[in-house]
Amino acid sequence: MKIIKFIITLSVFISLSANALLEVNIIKSREAAFPIVIAPFEIVGNSNNVDISKIIRDNLNRSGQFNALSTEALITNQIDFSFWQEHKKDAVVFGKIEQVSSKVYNVYIYIYDVFSEKSLYQKKIRVHNSGFRRIAHFLSDKIYYVLLGQKGSFDTRLSYVTVSENSNGGRTYKLQISDSDGFNPQTVVRSSNPILSPAWSKDQKKLAYVSFKNNRSEVFVMTPFLKTIPIKLPKFDGIASSPTWHPDGESIALTLSKNGNKDIYLYDFKSKPIPLTTNIAIDTEASFSPDGSKIAFTSNRTGQVQVYIKDLKSGKISRATFEGRYNAKPVFSPDGKDLALIHRVGKDYRLALLDIASRDLTVMTQNKSDESPYFSPNGGMIIYSTNRDNKGILSIISLHNNQVVELMQKEGEVREPSWSNYSN
Amino acid sequence: MSKKILLLSSVIFLSSCATTNISELGDKFLDLINPSEDATEVAMLSGEETLIAMDEAGGFTIDELEELSNDELIAIAREKGLEDLILLDEDGNLLNRDQIINAIVESAALLESKSEELESMSDDELIEVAVAKGLTEQIVLDADGNLANREELVEALLESAAATEAAISEFGNNADSFTLYFAYDDTEIDEVATRTIIQHANFMQENPSVNLRLEGHADERGTREYNLALGENRALSVKEVLGLYNLDDRIIVVSYGEESPILTGSNEEAWEKNRRVEFSYY
Repeated sequence: MKIIKFIITLSVFISLSANALLEVNIIKSREAAFPIVIAPFEIVGNSNNVDISKIIRDNLNRSGQFNALSTEALITNQIDFSFWQEHKKDAVVFGKIEQVSSKVYNVYIYIYDVFSEKSLYQKKIRVHNSGFRRIAHFLSDKIYYVLLGQKGSFDTRLSYVTVSENSNGGRTYKLQISDSDGFNPQTVVRSSNPILSPAWSKDQKKLAYVSFKNNRSEVFVMTPFLKTIPIKLPKFDGIASSPTWHPDGESIALTLSKNGNKDIYLYDFKSKPIPLTTNIAIDTEASFSPDGSKIAFTSNRTGQVQVYIKDLKSGKISRATFEGRYNAKPVFSPDGKDLALIHRVGKDYRLALLDIASRDLTVMTQNKSDESPYFSPNGGMIIYSTNRDNKGILSIISLHNNQVVELMQKEGEVREPSWSNYSN
Repeated sequence: MSKKILLLSSVIFLSSCATTNISELGDKFLDLINPSEDATEVAMLSGEETLIAMDEAGGFTIDELEELSNDELIAIAREKGLEDLILLDEDGNLLNRDQIINAIVESAALLESKSEELESMSDDELIEVAVAKGLTEQIVLDADGNLANREELVEALLESAAATEAAISEFGNNADSFTLYFAYDDTEIDEVATRTIIQHANFMQENPSVNLRLEGHADERGTREYNLALGENRALSVKEVLGLYNLDDRIIVVSYGEESPILTGSNEEAWEKNRRVEFSYY
């Protein structure tokens, strides 16, 4: 019995310390990126083998905003500013990790501007062993803010669905969540039936998703950080799908099929769902504007698949896309000015960015089948799924310089990404 | 027995996580040089939140199940009445590990047979099923309105189920097709499809105990949620034709969108086969 107990405890730790499920692959150059240096952190005492400096560099490089290089030698107190000026680096970051007790460390970080030779930021943080990756993401956000004056999106999480063949010829679907860099993946729902459309609530506490576990599409809401049973949301006689959270976190919009007619409904978890659309055509794939005053959605009401925006106060619905015959799955940018969507070009379905006011549509990729776009919470990147060599992968595109980062699984597919908001 | 221990240890683990409050961690481990930083930052810096995988796993987290040895999985499967699913090779090694994990995750109690399913129903549920199957006349109630002939009713339902099954399998040999195909982003039913639907309508009228599940599908092009809606519309347009024969009440419509292709592959041949509605009788 002791043995069994030991196995369980061990398995929990293995799963918590499991490395990246996702392999990361940066596939475009880093044009117009901010050149900086992030030296390896000096280690005093025993190391816990988490390379904070590398995590930060990888984060900043993935954003497309930085070209962050390491150094061979440690940087401690003396910074050779003229050397870095000569090598055209704009900022130098270095730090120290100092063991305090067996599991507690002090982490020091310093950011210097190379040209003014002045300190921009410095800090000492005491951190438990288990929090190192989190600290690295937090510090990445700090550097991003100090050097660019904008919030980063590193201390956040992704959710996505993985699909793999199992030994019985069937498929195994897993709803997983990971850190923003694809590390620390955790399976929160597993099924032999399809799972779709995971969506984070704004407070990061809840995930809504579509499951076919009862052999039909139904919407569930779960709290991944608490051990509670997922709640099944109400449905009529047909599909229930496409969940999306209202920014207030109190209600959810979803697509329900009443007498066969698919409309978008608002559900507050207490009273009956209220219809937000009532057209006889397909209305689905709703996304709330950041202030909750509008929804963008997909509809085939004119015979073509196009994107519409409904003003929830006035009730007015206006068409948002005019270019091409197929525009679908819109999501609002965090500033509410743009929509990311899927736009058909010839035979291909590609990620596109729509400026709502000017109606300018920019196709962002050359891919055949992009799906499920979602903005990073700072609006600087879009994550979406696509195919590479007939395999589903996730891509992250930087809106700063169109740099693309691919996240893939060794075996099986990964799809249906969604990006959480900042933690509170 | 082993299961109880397993559960106990996971509960201990979970409760220890639950008590690890973020603000406590903040106080304990964080020591900020710059006190001007606001309090939310302190909370952000606390240790990694512990994520607990959950749901559908009958007390176990999914990751826990995956880490268990084959012997432990077998023990849990036996406790959950999934013994018949266990496949062992000659040396007693588990052959279908993934299937067992899925079965534990997905089902608290798999009912292997129709009779077990019926036996497990309450009297009220049995009556409901009997009414749905057109066996209203076979229901006998006592003076208090309780079911008086439970055993006979179960028997009658089993007979009816066997007859239905035989009729469906006979129709399976004669029908033109159990699948209808559609054009891209279209729900239109052509003449050939209409003839097939009429054949199915006649079958349903001749066999009143048979119910139909129409399953709509789409090809992979376009977005998943739109395709889910499109698949349902395809199944609904088939239902609409069957509705002319007054069969509405016996038909349920579901959609799998692009999630359950017949052929994988990104080419016209696969797409054609995947844009479809399947007839499934029960």
